[in-house]
Amino acid sequence: MAKSNDLARIITGCKSGDAESFSEVVDIYASRFYGYFYRLTGNRETSDDLLSELFVKLVEKIGSFKGGSFESWLFKMASNIFYDYLRNKQRQKKSFEVQKSQFESEVTEAEEQSGSERIDELQTQLGRLDTDTRELIMLRFYSQASFKEIAAMRSEPIGTTLSKLHRGLKKLQKLME
Amino acid sequence: MTMNGETEENLRDLFEKFLNSEQAEQAVEDIQKGERILRGHTAPKPDGELITSIKAEIAASLLRKKENAFRRIVYKTMAVAAGFILLAAIGVKLFEKGRSEPERPASDSIIPKAVWESNRLADDNAESATLIAEVEQIESDLLAMQLGENGGNGHEAITELEMETELIEINSDFWKG
Repeated sequence: MAKSNDLARIITGCKSGDAESFSEVVDIYASRFYGYFYRLTGNRETSDDLLSELFVKLVEKIGSFKGGSFESWLFKMASNIFYDYLRNKQRQKKSFEVQKSQFESEVTEAEEQSGSERIDELQTQLGRLDTDTRELIMLRFYSQASFKEIAAMRSEPIGTTLSKLHRGLKKLQKLME
Repeated sequence: MTMNGETEENLRDLFEKFLNSEQAEQAVEDIQKGERILRGHTAPKPDGELITSIKAEIAASLLRKKENAFRRIVYKTMAVAAGFILLAAIGVKLFEKGRSEPERPASDSIIPKAVWESNRLADDNAESATLIAEVEQIESDLLAMQLGENGGNGHEAITELEMETELIEINSDFWKG
């Protein structure tokens, strides 16, 4: 993880349109965001697309970053990209149920492709959680943000965030047993 | 990666704001178990090819952004220049309207422009002197005729008429320049 001084320098470089600084951001965050998208979609190809979209959006929106936690800001953007992706899928399929089965089929597809049972197992069980809880668990895990920051990102009270995460992880734990 | 490694949040304190001590302890335990499950299942990493393609996309996006910025500067400059030209044109029009014509004496209508606008003062003075001399000559002729009026005949009356005609002609010639 980049030190705060380095990160500040990199962000300044990004704001001035320096391609090298953006490259550094990609090197620092690509793995974490890829994991986040992969755990949410269960599909490598979709994760590739969403990751590319995130960094292209970063170039467009970097001017609107006014300080605070850069990671929280990036994760908020990633979260929006994921929900936009879901909405587009829903529009295509016209119903949430069809979308859900589509997601599950993607999970199965990923299962067949990966060949790793441990990853598949987690991915399969994550697919059984509702989208909001799954997104919250992944946001917390990959962003390493505090509950206060996560609650702010999701525009909900901290008590709601704590309770949802607790219930979600408890359920996941049971599913994984 | 840990669920709360960076945040230094005290989960137990947080949960104790909403739950009793026992429940808070249980919640923290559930979250820690969930955290272990997630840590035990590593998500795939993005391909090197994907990272290269994202960096290339960022470079292209930056180039587009710079081109657009340059275009915006050109358009703004053109708009400002057009504004200045328009203002200058309006200013010139207003200045021309505001500039009053020099006042001319009431006699302007009967005195030829050439006389008023002439810079040949010496010539004009000479012409005036000639006119005055001719007028004086005619006046003295008229006086002489008036003096011989009592003993005069029809021939004299004709001469007087001729003199008046001559005076009008001279006068007219003078004003014609």
